[in-house]
Amino acid sequence: MRYQLGTLLRYLYAAIAVIGVWWAVVLIAKPHMSLLPSPLATAQTFIALLATGELERHAAYSVCRVLAAWSLAALVAVPLGFAMGRWQRLERVLDPVVELFRPISPLAWIPLAILWFGIDEGGKVFIIFIGTFFPILLNTIAGAKNIDPVLVHAGRILGCTDDASLFRKVVLPASLPQVIVGLRIAFGTGWAAIIAAELVAARSGLGYLISNGMEVLRSDLVLVGMVTIGILGVLFDAVFRWFDRRYNWMGE
Amino acid sequence: MSAASPPTAKPLSLRGLAKHYATADGRVVEALLPIDLDIASGEFLVVVGPSGCGKSTMLNILAGLTPPSAGEARVGAAIVHGPDIDRGMVFQDYALFPWLDVISNVEFGLERKGIARRERRKVAMRYLEMVGLADFADKRPRELSGGMKQRVAIARAFATEPSIIFMDEPFGALDALTRRHLQHELLRIWQGHRKTVVFITHSVAEAIYLADRIVLMTARPGRIKTVMKVDLVHPRDPTSDKFREIERLIYADLDEELVKSFRMEGRN
Repeated sequence: MRYQLGTLLRYLYAAIAVIGVWWAVVLIAKPHMSLLPSPLATAQTFIALLATGELERHAAYSVCRVLAAWSLAALVAVPLGFAMGRWQRLERVLDPVVELFRPISPLAWIPLAILWFGIDEGGKVFIIFIGTFFPILLNTIAGAKNIDPVLVHAGRILGCTDDASLFRKVVLPASLPQVIVGLRIAFGTGWAAIIAAELVAARSGLGYLISNGMEVLRSDLVLVGMVTIGILGVLFDAVFRWFDRRYNWMGE
Repeated sequence: MSAASPPTAKPLSLRGLAKHYATADGRVVEALLPIDLDIASGEFLVVVGPSGCGKSTMLNILAGLTPPSAGEARVGAAIVHGPDIDRGMVFQDYALFPWLDVISNVEFGLERKGIARRERRKVAMRYLEMVGLADFADKRPRELSGGMKQRVAIARAFATEPSIIFMDEPFGALDALTRRHLQHELLRIWQGHRKTVVFITHSVAEAIYLADRIVLMTARPGRIKTVMKVDLVHPRDPTSDKFREIERLIYADLDEELVKSFRMEGRN
């Protein structure tokens, strides 16, 4: 509880500091409203968008796209990661393929995604899938590979004589913390990539809110979009941290 | 407690048991030369030898974790083919499952044996009491000291009532005082349960303190150099003349092997 209060306070300090600097810049430089609105004007736009439900709608679109793509990626990458982590032969075959695709940023897939899927949901889900797939895969492989062999020995000695029971009772719980790390990192990269995907190819979502704000010279809309991205990002990370504390046997 | 546990110990026999590895560059390394050995039901056998003499390899073969290159090991009449819950093991670095609390660690093998939840909780608790850790049942392994972890591991190994228990330098990572205490505890438990125990150690004093019989192994490639019966009554006094005499004999043999293994290291 005390820990959580401390975390909350640290975020509060950060927010106050950012708003303070922002306000100082506005007061001293007096930029035009369309370039940098004051924090107050931005807050007013934020509240107005909330009241009409427009902000919630855009946020919901972005969140749903990331959740869908991230879940799909997890569904494929976690089982594949375990298979590659436990079967050296499979890893040797697939590892070069993974290494070839891994350095390509999900953003580089945007043109192809548009060509293949148009600007429908499919394209954005595809881009986020690419972005979330590799962190999940690589962390699952590492988790499955780095299990202390003596734990596997202990499991076999204590009656896990077939692969299925050994996996369920030893391999899975032993690598779970690393898998959760992968899921958390992947969600972060997915959340960052969705905005980019929506910047170029969308009619909805927070990325669209931002790019549209730029086109109509409404920097307050741009800032509202950015602030919302930040707040939601922190919230999702908090959920993962809670989950991690609950299920990570490695402790702090 | 001895009345509650049926006499389940089984004898063990090794016939021509050997192990060699092929290295990456195609050379064959002899880890264990053919070994013949009979271990009686309920015997406490201690294997002593210099590092890399293949004693852990031998234990892993007996436990069914590694297949032998030649020969066979039998438990009773059955040839060892893979691990079996009837053969327990205690590892040097405890090998407790860090994601389970203490009592669930002890229950692990009982669950695999298909024992119902309430019954296995009761049995696990009984074995935790045996090692004096009943109050720590719901702690995580990381909250325990090394000595306590190894006591949990001992409880876990005995809880499934195996007929043989293998111990691979179980007290090697512990400080001298904890070690002394656990040796004493282990003897007490063994005297109550009379399992066949095969125990590996570096420590000559530990071997003499615990063993019915000591097997001394040579430097790599490993084979049996001497087998020695220890006819002292428990509890044994490490300062007694007889204890010292046995110690002196073993060290004389062991020194020869250490010189050899140092020479080999010098050549490599």
